[in-house]
Amino acid sequence: MRRVFRNWAVGAVLALAVLATACGSGDSTEGEPITVGSFNFNESTIVAEIYAQALERAGYTVERSLNLGNREVVKPALETGEIDLVPEYVGTINSFLGGSPTSDSEATWNEAKTLFEDLGVTLLAFSPAQDKNAYVVTAETASANGLTTISDLAPVAANLRFGGPPECPEREFCLLGLQTVYGLEFAEFVPLDAAGPITVAALEGGDVDLALLFSSQGVIAEKGWVVLEDDMGLQAAENLVPAIRQAVVDEYGEELTNLLDEVSQLIAQDALIEMNKRADIDGDDPAVIAGDWLDDNGYPATE
Amino acid sequence: MVWDQVVDYLQDPATWSGPGSIPVLLWEHIWVSVVATIVAIALVLPLALWLGHTRKGADIAGVVVNIGRAIPSFGILVLTVMLLVQWGVSVLSVWPVLVALIALAAPPVFTNTIAGVQGVSAATVEAARGMGLKESQLVGRVEVPLASPVIVEGIRIAFVQVIATATLGALVAWGGLGRLIVDGFSVQNQGKVLVGAFLVALLAVIAEVGLSIAQRASTPRGLRPRPD
Repeated sequence: MRRVFRNWAVGAVLALAVLATACGSGDSTEGEPITVGSFNFNESTIVAEIYAQALERAGYTVERSLNLGNREVVKPALETGEIDLVPEYVGTINSFLGGSPTSDSEATWNEAKTLFEDLGVTLLAFSPAQDKNAYVVTAETASANGLTTISDLAPVAANLRFGGPPECPEREFCLLGLQTVYGLEFAEFVPLDAAGPITVAALEGGDVDLALLFSSQGVIAEKGWVVLEDDMGLQAAENLVPAIRQAVVDEYGEELTNLLDEVSQLIAQDALIEMNKRADIDGDDPAVIAGDWLDDNGYPATE
Repeated sequence: MVWDQVVDYLQDPATWSGPGSIPVLLWEHIWVSVVATIVAIALVLPLALWLGHTRKGADIAGVVVNIGRAIPSFGILVLTVMLLVQWGVSVLSVWPVLVALIALAAPPVFTNTIAGVQGVSAATVEAARGMGLKESQLVGRVEVPLASPVIVEGIRIAFVQVIATATLGALVAWGGLGRLIVDGFSVQNQGKVLVGAFLVALLAVIAEVGLSIAQRASTPRGLRPRPD
């Protein structure tokens, strides 16, 4: 008798546990939390945390899906609603959506916004801060080969190893662009990471001669490395801009978008570089860095 | 759709020659797996044989394999990369991959060797001693041959695990077949990912079958199942 009861009780507990997990995996409910996502590099996570914490401090419920991956992963996640908000870059998202980005921030942003609308996503106001792809060599490599611009690479490219993220060969602002716009053919492309510690170590250790880093990274100045000038204008404007699902904007309205626009305006170029430095070099936690920025810029924690 | 990507990838000439091509990656993957397994064997076999022979190792064997399974290979990999870079070794070096794979291969070889040697019947060992065999002859001529099916099984388990896990190397910018999976994933080329995964699985199956045959071949005739 007792054993029958125990088995029944165990079964009931298990059934309840299964039901609980099924209910927990989110279906549409009123005022559902806003999920903030980010790409797989520090700057993206820092800015995502800035938006996330700004929203939280204003009383919104926020969930995070940070460090997801590159755009091939993040964009579908945004379209299907697995994430609601992600910090994007006007030039690259424009290109990714099939547009023609230029160095004009406003025009590039407009075109990208229009293209994204078909996918149920909108772009809010863009920030003055930009982060472009930077083609970086060590000071030694620059002086040994007389390099100041990317075009200067043409005579020596065949002897150089170029390192960047695995998706670089297919990116218009990366290897693909270097090949088509600058006509560069390197000795080898080495897949590393997205301007992360592996790329930094590879450039420093001489495993690659040219590396793709991000223009807002502090490590470039810290190591005395040289960013080759983009003399043929390969890189478009790359202002930070929040990409957010239209459904979320419709649900929360102007109060939400005004808050995010305000925050975006306040993110300055210098501050971005400083925050990146804290993450990349000092090893600080992006959430803490974001929290400090919000404290310093008029969005104190409400507790 | 995916099938088209597979076909496109296989028809691309860059897939078959040059850096990052299948022959290069396949070779890297194989030699790293073989070297890691051999080094692991060289490191643990003597100790395991001794522990098995002296009948001391039963508890250690179990603990080692459990801890070995619990330690994440990827964790070892990243840690080793960070350490070696600090010591001035190239971040693209194969050493972190080797270290992580050796750590993965050692426990099964270690444990199976101890278990195999201890599994030799005590009566047989006593009889051999009675016949005047020295301890070293005992190990070499009696215990190892009788334990060899179990020992080779340990090597087989280790080798197959190593082949499957060598794919992690691509996550720290190394090569091997994992490159196809990581690079393919980064541009959503499912075809490339599929080809990479298929090749790894194929290698693992070949190793499994090959070493199973070796296992049977290494079984002394007296131990083989006799047709009745």
